[in-house]
Amino acid sequence: MSDFVDVSDLSDDTRAALRRHIISLADTKRFMGIRYSDWLLGAPTLETCIAASSMAQDEWGHARLLYAMLKDLGEDPTAVEHDRADDEFANVSALDEPLPDWAAVIAAMVLVDGAITAALESFAEGRFESATSRGPKMILEEEFHRSLGDAWYRRLADSTSEEARDLLAAATRSMLSVTLAWLGAADSEARALVEAGIIGDPKAAVDSYRERVGPLVALAGIELDEVQPAQEWDSRRGRAPGQPDADSCERVRGDRNRALFVE
Amino acid sequence: MREIIYDVFARKDRGDTLAHIGYIDALDDATAKVYAWKTYDEQNWFEMCVVPRSAIILVNRDDGPFARGGAT
Repeated sequence: MSDFVDVSDLSDDTRAALRRHIISLADTKRFMGIRYSDWLLGAPTLETCIAASSMAQDEWGHARLLYAMLKDLGEDPTAVEHDRADDEFANVSALDEPLPDWAAVIAAMVLVDGAITAALESFAEGRFESATSRGPKMILEEEFHRSLGDAWYRRLADSTSEEARDLLAAATRSMLSVTLAWLGAADSEARALVEAGIIGDPKAAVDSYRERVGPLVALAGIELDEVQPAQEWDSRRGRAPGQPDADSCERVRGDRNRALFVE
Repeated sequence: MREIIYDVFARKDRGDTLAHIGYIDALDDATAKVYAWKTYDEQNWFEMCVVPRSAIILVNRDDGPFARGGAT
């Protein structure tokens, strides 16, 4: 007998929680891709530009795989991908605005992209079959993002430029609280997923995340144990209140593609 | 920011000859691995490796493509 959950046996509340989780992961990956794409011609070197371009494609590919999981819930993902209002996007709020400098890109690569991967690891080890079959390849591809982010984070934290160090610390501080709140969500929706065995205990994911990024952010002068998760929470979307900037939402939805009759 | 030249070698299939396919500039070994994999992604490589150009020892001539050493 399979150990996977039969989605049709889940309660309405658990199905809704699973839907929220899938969309939040997918939206965060899609916005992570947007933020990488903003730098594919502006990163410090040609090689970094190429890496940013490739990572943007990775994130969008992963997002598409995640949105497709909605089919398991009997939902066509097309409307979710292309027809939502700006205030329905469920990405980690640290990605709501364009990243203003390279230090912020690196902070997001380590902290936000790292948190998505931690959440994906928990999802891939659970009892939702699509996550267990598709998650490992995404996690493997994320290894390159992690290597690049960690190396650049160390380089900037150790920079002789005071401005670089200050920008890195500021970006890190601005992203950590909301990212910790997102990864460690323990509201009724998250608890329903834990009880169904679809994800692991969010506290374990946060502990693992803290263990991984703690030594890095310490290089920027930030003591991770002293950073608390943000308190404001929108349980409808599973993220902090607020919404992404309008231009990025248009790009994520593909509004301009439709105007050109591409899709 | 000082960067290091790494030469990139790859083989498409097990048993193929390892071939020099290009080079990249990187901060260190970790970024070199990422840049090489992301830059030379036109094939589904069986194996890829990077070598700091400064580690290549010239054998029979000193004016070839590897002669310029490691630093950009």
